[in-house]
Amino acid sequence: MKVYLTVALLAVSILAGGCSGGEKSGRGQEQAKKKWVIGMSQCNLGEPWRVQMNADVRAEAEKHPEIEVVYKDAQNDNLRQRSHVEEFVNSGIGLLIISPKEAAPLTQPVAEAFRAGIPVIVLDRRVLGEDYTCFIGADNKKIGRAAGKWIAQRLGGSGRVAELKGLMTSTPGQDRHSGFREGIEGTNVEVIFEADMQWLEPNARREMESALARFEKIDLVYAHNDPGAHGAWLAAKAAGREGEMVFVGIDALPQEGVVYVRQGILAASFEYPTGGREAILTALKILNGEPVPKEITLQSRVFTAQNVDSGGQWLKD
Amino acid sequence: MTDPTVDDLTENRFRQLMRSPTVRAVASLAVVFLLGVAFNAEGAFFKWGTHRDMLRQVSVYGILSCGMTLVIITSGIDLSVGSLLGFTAVLFSILSIHQGLSPWLAIPLTLAAGTACGAISGALVARFLIQPFIATLAMMVFARGAAKFISGGQKVSTAVQAADGSYQYVEVPKVFDFINSAVLGDNITVVTILFLACVAVSWVILARLRWGRYLYAIGGNEEAARLSGVPVGRVKVFAYGLGGLFCALAGICQAAQELQGDPEAGVAYELSAIAIVVIGGTSLRGGRGSIWLTLLGTVIIGYLEKVLSINAVGEASRLMLTGLIIVLAVLFQKRQG
Repeated sequence: MKVYLTVALLAVSILAGGCSGGEKSGRGQEQAKKKWVIGMSQCNLGEPWRVQMNADVRAEAEKHPEIEVVYKDAQNDNLRQRSHVEEFVNSGIGLLIISPKEAAPLTQPVAEAFRAGIPVIVLDRRVLGEDYTCFIGADNKKIGRAAGKWIAQRLGGSGRVAELKGLMTSTPGQDRHSGFREGIEGTNVEVIFEADMQWLEPNARREMESALARFEKIDLVYAHNDPGAHGAWLAAKAAGREGEMVFVGIDALPQEGVVYVRQGILAASFEYPTGGREAILTALKILNGEPVPKEITLQSRVFTAQNVDSGGQWLKD
Repeated sequence: MTDPTVDDLTENRFRQLMRSPTVRAVASLAVVFLLGVAFNAEGAFFKWGTHRDMLRQVSVYGILSCGMTLVIITSGIDLSVGSLLGFTAVLFSILSIHQGLSPWLAIPLTLAAGTACGAISGALVARFLIQPFIATLAMMVFARGAAKFISGGQKVSTAVQAADGSYQYVEVPKVFDFINSAVLGDNITVVTILFLACVAVSWVILARLRWGRYLYAIGGNEEAARLSGVPVGRVKVFAYGLGGLFCALAGICQAAQELQGDPEAGVAYELSAIAIVVIGGTSLRGGRGSIWLTLLGTVIIGYLEKVLSINAVGEASRLMLTGLIIVLAVLFQKRQG
């Protein structure tokens, strides 16, 4: 009986704690001041880049006491993210910010929210069609192209490259891939190995181990994100071959990619801004009735050993 | 010694009532429902949409749990349900999207494939006398590999890769839209109706068919059942095969809702299915239980997940809580002996 009651009390306290404290920001301030509730639907918090996105949203939201943001993490499950969107619509939020896991499964739920009169800001990954208020993202194709050109230059026009791709059913993966191929077109840079590591470091490490086993000489590894590049570097290091090649990643988070460049693990990292701050600023414009463009393209920088301490270099078109 | 008072008699009757697993399951459901009322997320719990969506979200797990119930009653276990869901989701997507087959062909083929896999597990258990845990573990691993093999490691979606590496989007098959939709004035979803149909079919088998009674007999005392003339081997293949059929239906629903066949779909779903059956009150030891307990267990888990979700409870708390709930549920069962 005692065990039973203890477990029950523990469960209820976790539940109570989770329900009242949990994933909301701005609760500390007066209830009366809250004019709008914004729902933030994140596809997963397993990627450090997405943890940074939520952190950027939170940092900007805290500067504006009139909004409250409710965060829901779909744990990389499309159906769960769909139900989160439905819950947000049911609870009558003022605006929805969503970074969908995949375009096709989330297009309909987002469209329904939009048609129900809730403004929708789509961050980073797109949905299909036009049923949303604003899309905010950096231009992955441009970043991919810049990476391709930088790599071609670094290799002196020819070399053997392994490409570790992000989730190829998501638009960033597709764009970073096609942009890269455009960037190396016309050069003698050859992609000898490519694999889909789905943005995840352990997967990238496994794929790199396969590549290392198959190829005697690899000149450069281009990974669609920094965790992927880091995983590849770990695999190369375990095989004693990290000095043979150069590693390039994308994201350049201050505590991750930029650090890797400083440590000499990555030769270059291309910044992919999370857009969290811009999402809140755009949300405020929408809620205040101001017009916003359908597409907001964020600018990005490249960090290399030469310029990492001076804040990187902005990419031109 | 004094004569028993009215209070003593009333207490005994309460104890008697609580000994019934169905009553205990209903009591658990009432507790979770009250939690929803208490933590109602600014009224969200009181809207019908929340309940309809809860039913839709839990339906796939519920369909898996129907098959799991049948197997657990024979004192077996099926660890492969999640992988079979993934495999059949991919198969259905390939047949419907890429091959463009009519649903009248794609659905029976997929159901047959799931049933075949389940029957193989059943044969391993019945004919080769491999422990259910091991046999279905092997099927779990094999089916996941088979899913990745037939899908080429990619998700099978309406984004079809052309020869030049670019993606083109094809039409979503109408059957996907149908399964994904809500009927009766948008009040109940098709997957929920499919789940309830599975419950009904399971009830008919367990309560009305002779082979359903055989399932209980095998779970209660297999040797005695065999000596009484129960065709133990064939009944076991029947149980696991039917489980596979339910997995295939769940896979079809999963594919339709995600608009894609994901070879990674269903990972760890078997644990949720087992938790649902256990929380409902069916004993893992076998020989007893009913599909109504599983229905109650499904709704209990469904409401629990929903209450946590509408309150935006983070993953950490949700996982810890679910672990504690499972312990609580089993303790609750044990108390009554």
